Amino acid sequence: MNGLVGRPVERVEGHAKVTGTARYPADDPVPGALHGFLVTSTVARGEVTDIDTSAALGHPGVVAVYTHREMPRLTVPPFPYPKGFIPLQGTAIHHAGQPVAIVLAETLEQAQEAASLVQVRYRSEPPRAVIDDAGQQPYLPPPFRDRPNEFTRGDASRALAQAEVRVEAHYSSPTRHHNPIEPHATTAHWDGDRLTLHETTQGVNVTRGVVATAFGLPADRIRVLAPYLGGGFGAKGPVWPHTIVNAAAARLARRPVRLVLSRAQMFTLTGHRAEFRQHLKIGATREGRLTAIVETTTAQLTTTEESIFNESDSTSTLYTCPNVHIRQEGVRLDIATSSYMRSPETTAHFGLETALDELSWVLGVDPLELRRRNHTDIDQETGLRIASKHLLDCYTTAADAFGWSRRNPAPGATRDGDEYIGWGMATEAHTFSAIPATASVTIGLDGKAVLRIATQDIGTGTRTIICQIGADALGVPITDVHAVIGDSALPNASLSAASATIASISGPVDRAARTARDTVVGLAVADRRSPLFGVPVSDVETRHGHLIHTRDQARRDTYRAVVSRAGKPVETTGSVPNVPGHSYGVVFAEVRVHARLGAVRVTRVVTAHDMGRVMNRRTARGQVLGGVTWGIGHALMEHTVYDRATARVVNPNLSTYLVPVCADVPSVETLFVDRPDPSSTALGARGFGETPITGVPAAIGNAVYHATGRRVRDLPITQDKLL
Amino acid sequence: MKAFGYTQARDAADAVSLAHRTPGAGFIAGGTDLLNLMKDGVQRHDHLIDVNRLDLAAVTGTATGLHIGGLARMRQVAEHPAVRKGFPVLAQALLASASPQVRNMATIGGNLLQRTRCGYFRDTASACNKRAPGSGCPALAGWNRGHAVLGGSEHCIATHPSDLAVALTALDATVHVLGPGGPRRIPIGEFHLRPGDTPNVDTALRPAELITAVEVPNSRTATGSRYLKLRDRATFEFAVVSAAAALHLDGRTVRDVRLAFGGIATTPWRSPDAEAALRGRSLTVETISEAGRALVRDAVPRHDNGFKVELVQRALAELLNGMGGRR
Repeated sequence: MNGLVGRPVERVEGHAKVTGTARYPADDPVPGALHGFLVTSTVARGEVTDIDTSAALGHPGVVAVYTHREMPRLTVPPFPYPKGFIPLQGTAIHHAGQPVAIVLAETLEQAQEAASLVQVRYRSEPPRAVIDDAGQQPYLPPPFRDRPNEFTRGDASRALAQAEVRVEAHYSSPTRHHNPIEPHATTAHWDGDRLTLHETTQGVNVTRGVVATAFGLPADRIRVLAPYLGGGFGAKGPVWPHTIVNAAAARLARRPVRLVLSRAQMFTLTGHRAEFRQHLKIGATREGRLTAIVETTTAQLTTTEESIFNESDSTSTLYTCPNVHIRQEGVRLDIATSSYMRSPETTAHFGLETALDELSWVLGVDPLELRRRNHTDIDQETGLRIASKHLLDCYTTAADAFGWSRRNPAPGATRDGDEYIGWGMATEAHTFSAIPATASVTIGLDGKAVLRIATQDIGTGTRTIICQIGADALGVPITDVHAVIGDSALPNASLSAASATIASISGPVDRAARTARDTVVGLAVADRRSPLFGVPVSDVETRHGHLIHTRDQARRDTYRAVVSRAGKPVETTGSVPNVPGHSYGVVFAEVRVHARLGAVRVTRVVTAHDMGRVMNRRTARGQVLGGVTWGIGHALMEHTVYDRATARVVNPNLSTYLVPVCADVPSVETLFVDRPDPSSTALGARGFGETPITGVPAAIGNAVYHATGRRVRDLPITQDKLL
Repeated sequence: MKAFGYTQARDAADAVSLAHRTPGAGFIAGGTDLLNLMKDGVQRHDHLIDVNRLDLAAVTGTATGLHIGGLARMRQVAEHPAVRKGFPVLAQALLASASPQVRNMATIGGNLLQRTRCGYFRDTASACNKRAPGSGCPALAGWNRGHAVLGGSEHCIATHPSDLAVALTALDATVHVLGPGGPRRIPIGEFHLRPGDTPNVDTALRPAELITAVEVPNSRTATGSRYLKLRDRATFEFAVVSAAAALHLDGRTVRDVRLAFGGIATTPWRSPDAEAALRGRSLTVETISEAGRALVRDAVPRHDNGFKVELVQRALAELLNGMGGRR
């Protein structure tokens, strides 16, 4: 053991990333590749009546232009293909920005210009772009991924009617887009009926499966490569139509084709967090104990999809409450489908944590104390005791660091010059997945270890943590360990999504590495040429690449010597199942609101999280900083705007879709409870990454209320709402 | 982006001559806006004339004022000692603009010629009278939070995004241009045009004319000038509302004043009525409110931008209070 796990080990790929030597999927050179560019629908509802490709085909460098007339018929795959249709299979138009043709040319510039020369005629109908314009009653969609959209515990309406105290409010949030800095990109390379995809994906195996279904191919004919990812946030978890359309085009053209989406196309060709409404009714005792929660949410659906991605897990499971009724409804609009965005709980969590703040004012109970009174260690769904939940420690740790006890509870009572100062808090919670995975370890003749697993590093630090685990299990320096990931040809792993990666892959990597270690130790003690010959394996420890007799430290061997004497690499695999669960935390925020101009600044944030064991304090902190930053964006600025007449996105670029800049983000103090979860097979770690955004919008909104006495229930909190 | 030809001009006369005789030509300097417009298909030049090598980048303090070469970079002007000392509103407006990277590239001439950020203008699949005359203005009934409450017409309510132009408007600057017909001077107040019936015409520049310099006169108001910019995030964002004030105070009495505003109008917006409400009077809560009311008297608020009518008055009060007004 080196004790690397838990330490703030720097990213093993950091140097490659900052020097530009890390090759992202669109960087991989593919000889002879054409450049694709999509022609997309300018109308949102209707059909294509004619497409004239002659001008585009006559443009220099253009090799082909394919429309629904040329494309082969493909099979619509199930989730995680989130769309109900594949474009270029017919003439129907379901949303603005839907691909209607793909242009292939020798250069990107030629393809782009030729795309502008494709003449498309449409028959169009007035579209519906936002919930207000849906012109229909919200309805309860069928279960999505076996999860029903209506959930009942106890008798919520009766408990609400009998409650001593009630709070009722409507909360809402707009559409938001993931906007990873790296655009979605795909390169398809066919060799007969074998396909290689260089793909910006959070799941090489998931992509392989979806594309195989679309083309009716066995999955083993397809290889998907994603060595690095420039941000995903859920956007690159599903497989989107452009990947399938591009692969079909490459097959028709008999040339590899690279397709990189433009920033504007990322607003319609991939997913987003759906526009969301939430009607919450909470009943409580005078002491603040929750007795009833009735929640009805409305999310944007489409004419071709009815999946709800804005989940209400927090409402049903975060606090103890015997009577809960949740309905997740939707309305069908003529815009692209929404999808998962980290974290799916965030929208409903905003309402819940704001409503609790409202309840705290009604009761005259401190908001933190109110949450303590409703804390539970019992899983609200199963009734079983949660093996490890240290949320109360998070509350105390972060509250102390923030100085919460010094808070003057009166709204609008704290002022510094031109600004009101407000303090707010919210609990954070996230449900993570655990998906079966297998890892392999190869120890070469040079004594160095290669860890292989078909997972992905979407920027969270996965590659580094794999190396930490492997190096610890083997007892070698981290420089002697190399992780190979992002390739569907590797031992099986699943999506880097739902904060599942660490929970899913840590056990397998550790098991494979320990097995390799034991194998090498076994080789050494059986080898007459080894100084450890004849030593019981239980008396051998491994440290810094050495195999050492525990009671006679002078007797030692090395991985390199043992394996090179054996003459062939040592290869092992490992697979350990894990269970899903929850990670928790709390966020405290300080805001300053300009007394006359209404401008909100977040000036201080303190967080504390319980994620079981902290595998790498540096990358964990990175997850918190990212979550807080994004939460500030959700609270104060981010929103996608649809033109209500055309259902086109009005701000499909980073100039007008605002995300926080550095100056919007204050110092963030990130604290961790860091206690291993005994129920976790991932070395005591739980899935975590998506947890630290869930509470941030509510904490900021609650702080704005404390600063000003103004409750803004519709995000984002722009200054016009505080004038 | 459409393929285009490219020529480097040797000097200003060469640039103008090239532009005059090359169909579909445009000048490129820093390119921070032009390249986006071309990539988005909003502007489709057949030929670009690169003016970066022209000797028009000097910033000099003269006996009468400030001479800013048309190709001076935003950063260079913002950091110039004569600008910081004699024309603080100019330095403040520039530093409140864009990002350091953009300010290193973007020129003063280009800044004045940047196009509106209206989402309909920048989406070639959308109607827009400024981009495609006669196609309509979706902003009137659509998303118009960023749009103008002053100076609009039934054809266009897009705001001009430049902070610099607002500051120059408060400083009575003059734009020097060179064209096929020779040099001429355009007062800043006549440089940007209201949309009226021709929203496609942003400025008074004639075909093939190049901005060679901007001249700003010394004045007591310029020395006491200041800029306030309100926006939806801390930096790197256009103004929701901005205000530039150039003020000559004698005790509490306003000897002279220039007020200009951004984010609320189709052009950098000078308000003579608001100035008149202050000139010769004491700077008080009452006179400042009166100036604010005069400013928005003709405002036409729309669905999403009505708050600007209130916010700009508060911004003006905030700015003037900080310059010696009494709370």
